[in-house]
Amino acid sequence: MSRVEEIYELVLKGRAKDISEKVAQAIDAGDDPKELMNSGMIAAMAEIGERFSRGELFVPEMMISAKAMQKGLETLKPFLSEEESAGIGTIVIATVAGDLHDIGKNLVAMMLESSGFEVIDLGCDVPVDAFIQAVKDNPNVSLVCASALLTTTMPAMKEIVNALIEAGLRDQVKVLIGGAPVTQKFCDEIGADGYGEDAAAAIRLAKGYIAA
Amino acid sequence: MIIIGEKINGFIPKTLKAIEARDGDYIKEIALAQQECGADFIDICAGVAPEVEMETMEWLIGLVQEVCTVPISLDSSDPQIIVNCIPLCSQPGLINSVSMEEGKTGTVFPVIADTDWKVVCLTCNQEGIPDDGQTKFAIARDIVACARSYGIADDRVYIDPLVTTLGTKSDSMVSFVEAIELIRAEFPEVHITSGLSNISYGLPYRRGINMQFLCLTMNAGMDSAILDPMDPYMQSVLYATNALKGNDPYCMEYLGAYRDGLLPVKPE
Repeated sequence: MSRVEEIYELVLKGRAKDISEKVAQAIDAGDDPKELMNSGMIAAMAEIGERFSRGELFVPEMMISAKAMQKGLETLKPFLSEEESAGIGTIVIATVAGDLHDIGKNLVAMMLESSGFEVIDLGCDVPVDAFIQAVKDNPNVSLVCASALLTTTMPAMKEIVNALIEAGLRDQVKVLIGGAPVTQKFCDEIGADGYGEDAAAAIRLAKGYIAA
Repeated sequence: MIIIGEKINGFIPKTLKAIEARDGDYIKEIALAQQECGADFIDICAGVAPEVEMETMEWLIGLVQEVCTVPISLDSSDPQIIVNCIPLCSQPGLINSVSMEEGKTGTVFPVIADTDWKVVCLTCNQEGIPDDGQTKFAIARDIVACARSYGIADDRVYIDPLVTTLGTKSDSMVSFVEAIELIRAEFPEVHITSGLSNISYGLPYRRGINMQFLCLTMNAGMDSAILDPMDPYMQSVLYATNALKGNDPYCMEYLGAYRDGLLPVKPE
């Protein structure tokens, strides 16, 4: 097994304790840091997301893999160029106003971060204005992710889309929505760009927007 | 145990279908069945878009009151909807729920101050849902003080110390139990309740976790739960834990539950 493959396996198994040493060894041996990040860690997290989607892995397993990845990334970061460590895109994410459910949002945020995105997490019960302000304050934001677990708070997602239009920011960002009661139909109705049914779907969509 | 029957909730797909189709027979059927299975309150949550929430609540309340004698639990995240539903109820019930954020208590408490309505209060505030027992308790203390200031007696207050998810936080139940113990010690008259199924989110065999969680939290002093009273597995935990705690002389209630067909094993 190559060192990249070993790092891939350590992320897959969520071995936070062993990963720093393995990354340091790989760097010492002259491996390409970018390759370690992309083919080792990010690829492993993509696989984790897919297995989670298929119901083969569960939430705690996804969490320990993300922890292992974060640990490995800490060791790797000094060896990446500024551009390489800047991430593949910047995302603002939050649970909408009136809604305190943040487990799903946190999982998506964690998986986005583990997929190489810079994530600005505004938390839960976040008013529309705060979404807009975050996009204004961070001109590099290309994606806004909103989560709602209640049918009663879902309308806030439409308000976010409308507020982005009013603020003249709609063309600069894609809007991705999710949460138990959210559907593709609702997404189409409110004029959002995408609906992700789970963390893995959110990652696929987010990567698609960045590539486009 | 004070059981709040959770089945009339638009967040449950089957119930939502009935609400959307205005299938009153189904609503009445599950309302009555929950009462027959020992529900002390029938929770009603429309779970629909805000524009139609009030009319949906009104329709559901009418149906439930046609068939049930136990009171209603009004379930909405909008305190104004709750206040508007109160006059529709033929007897004082339970409000589910308020929290210390954004003046929810300020909208609801004055309205129920001089009534017999009871109220579920969540241990969350502007900063969100705390994970540790001490903070949950501190918020509970603020809630009780606020309720008392309106003349709402402690035994009308149901604290829900909001359980977090075991799959993302290993000490979820430990901190929940810590909160129960602190609340019990300081406010012996206050009721403690929980929606509980959040504990098992993201894990396989959720029922198993929910059952053991109910047992352990009942043992710590929780005296109410929001659950499906028609679930024989949860019923078995309710009756067995009660008996195991020494509260069921000669196991008469446990045996009664068996003979009434409430447990997963039915009499011959």
